[in-house]
Amino acid sequence: MNVNYISDLIAYMPELLVIGTMLLLLATEAFIKNCPKMVSYIVSFIGLGFAAISLLGTISNPAKTIFFDALIIDPFSSLMKLLIVVGTMVAIFLSYSSKDIYKSLKAEFLIMTVGIAVGGMLLASANNMLTFYLGIETLSILSYVAASMMKRNELSAEGGLKYALYGGITAGMMLYGMSHIYGLVGTLEFAGIGSYISEYSTEKLLILLPAFMLFFVGIGYKIAAVPFHMWAPDVYEGSPIPTTTFFSIVPKMAGIAALVRITFIFFNVDGGILQHTWIGVLSLLAALTMTVGNVAAVKQRSIKRLLAYSSISHAGVMMLGAVVISEVGVQAISFYAVVYLFMTAVAFYVLSHISDMNGNDHMERFSGLASRYPLMAILMSIALFSLAGLPPFAGFIAKFNILYALITKKYYVLAIVAVLNSLVSLYYYMRIVRVMVFGAPESTEAIIGFSKLNQAVILGLSIPIVLLGVYWNSLSMFVESASIIIR
Amino acid sequence: MFEIGLFSYLVIGLILFATGILVMIARKNIIAILLGIELILNAAALNFVAYSKYSVGNLDGHVFSLFIIVVAAAEAAVGLAIVIRFFQIKETAHIDDAVLLKN
Repeated sequence: MNVNYISDLIAYMPELLVIGTMLLLLATEAFIKNCPKMVSYIVSFIGLGFAAISLLGTISNPAKTIFFDALIIDPFSSLMKLLIVVGTMVAIFLSYSSKDIYKSLKAEFLIMTVGIAVGGMLLASANNMLTFYLGIETLSILSYVAASMMKRNELSAEGGLKYALYGGITAGMMLYGMSHIYGLVGTLEFAGIGSYISEYSTEKLLILLPAFMLFFVGIGYKIAAVPFHMWAPDVYEGSPIPTTTFFSIVPKMAGIAALVRITFIFFNVDGGILQHTWIGVLSLLAALTMTVGNVAAVKQRSIKRLLAYSSISHAGVMMLGAVVISEVGVQAISFYAVVYLFMTAVAFYVLSHISDMNGNDHMERFSGLASRYPLMAILMSIALFSLAGLPPFAGFIAKFNILYALITKKYYVLAIVAVLNSLVSLYYYMRIVRVMVFGAPESTEAIIGFSKLNQAVILGLSIPIVLLGVYWNSLSMFVESASIIIR
Repeated sequence: MFEIGLFSYLVIGLILFATGILVMIARKNIIAILLGIELILNAAALNFVAYSKYSVGNLDGHVFSLFIIVVAAAEAAVGLAIVIRFFQIKETAHIDDAVLLKN
C-alpha cells in the first residue's frame, strides 16, 4: 500500500486549521489570565476564515480518498464543509452580542462550536463506518454541552438532558446495526458495502435489511427526520439562541451530507430489495418530516420553537433530494443548503436581538417592528418569504430545484406533498409578518441588539437571499461543478 | 456438548441490546437510563469483536470496539455532568420531572 502522509495531510488542511483553531482557543482561555473576550473571537474568526479560504481553493479538486480510504475529499464534501465553517462563523458572531451566552462562558461557547464543526466536517467526508461513527459522536457529545450552556436555567438543563439521552439511545442503535452490517459484509468501507449490495442475492440482502434500518436511526436522529425528531423542538427551545442557530445549520448540513453519500455509494447501481426498501423508507419519512414539521409549527407561540419545527420540515425537503439518486438531486440539495444557511441565519439574528431585549421570544414581541425598525422588519420578512418558498427570493429557486429533481424521476406524489407543505408553511410565516407589520409597538425602548454593526451584518446575510433569487444561475453553475460524486 | 462460537456471542449481544432498550423504556431514573445506553453500546462492541474473531477475519472490528469504549466513556462523562446540573436545579433525577419543554 502506498502511504503518503504528507499529501494526505495537505488534503486534510481545512480540518487541521479548524482543529488548530480549537486548540488555540483552549490555550488562550487556559493560559492567559483575564484574557479579553475579543481575543478569542478574533482567533476563531481568523482560524475559521483560513479554513474557509482553503476549502474554497480546493473545492474543484478531483475526488480523492485519504488516510487509507477512511476519508473522502470530493467537491460535494468540500462544499458542505464550507457551509459548516460559514455556519459556525455565523453562530459565533451572533454569540458575541447575545445575552443568552453569558459573558464568562463566551470562550467555552467558541470552543464547543468549533469542536462541533470539526465533527461535522469529519461526518461530511466520512468514507467508512468508523469515521462516520466518530463524526456523529464528536458532533453529538459536544452538542450536549452546547445545548446546556446556560447555567442555572431549567429549560437549558432539560434540553441538554433530553438531547443527551436521545443521542445516546440512537447512537447505540446505530452501532448495533453497524456491527451486524460489518459481520455480514466483512468490511467497514462504504465502497465495499456498496459492491456487496450490488452483487449478493436477495436472501442475503434480506438479512441485512434490519441492520440497515438500525443504521438509518443514527442519521435520521442527526437530521431530525420524523420518528426521531422528538428531541429537536425541545432542545432548540431550551438552548441559548446562538446555539439554536448553530444546531439548525451545522449538524443538519453534516447529516444531510452523510445521508447523500451513503445513499449514493450504497444504492447507485440497482441494489434490489434493499435499495427499494431504503428509497421507500426515505421518501415516506421525508414526506412525514415535512408534514409533521409544518403542521406542528402552525400553533406555536414561541418563535424559537416555530423556527425549530420549520427547520425540521426543511430537513424533510432536503431528504427529498436524496431520494432522487442522481446528479440533479445532489445539485438541488447543495443549492438548497446554501440558501437555507442564509435564510435561517437572518431569521435567527433578528429573533435573537428581540429576544435579548424582552427576555422571551413570543410572537407578540415582534409586534410593530415594521414601524420601529423598518429595515429589520423588511429583512426578516424577506427571510420568512424565502423560507416559505415565494418566487422572487432564493428559497423559491431552491424548492423548485428539488421539485425538478423529483419530477425527473417521476415521484409526482412527493412533489405534490412538498408543494402542499409549502402552502402550510406560508401560513405560519405570514403570521409573523402580519404581527410585525400590523401589530402596535409594545414599547418605544430602543432594541440594543440592533446596533449599526449588527444591522449591517443582517443586511449582508440577507443580500444573498435576494440576489440568488434573481441571479441563481451563477450559484447553480458553482454547485454543478461542486457536486460531482465519484464512486 | 454445545460449543461456544459466533452464535453464542450474538445471542448474548442480542440479550444485552434488548435489556438496554427495556431499561430505557421501563426505568424512570435518569442514571438507570444512562446505564441502559451503556448496555446497548457494549452489545454492539461485543458483536464487533465476535464477528471479527469468528467470521470476518480482519481486525477492523477490534479497532472499532476500542473506539466504542473510548467514545462511551466520553459520552458517559458528559451525560453524567448534565444529569448533575439537572439535579442541582430540580433536586431530582427522575425523567418525569423533565416536562417543562413541550408542544
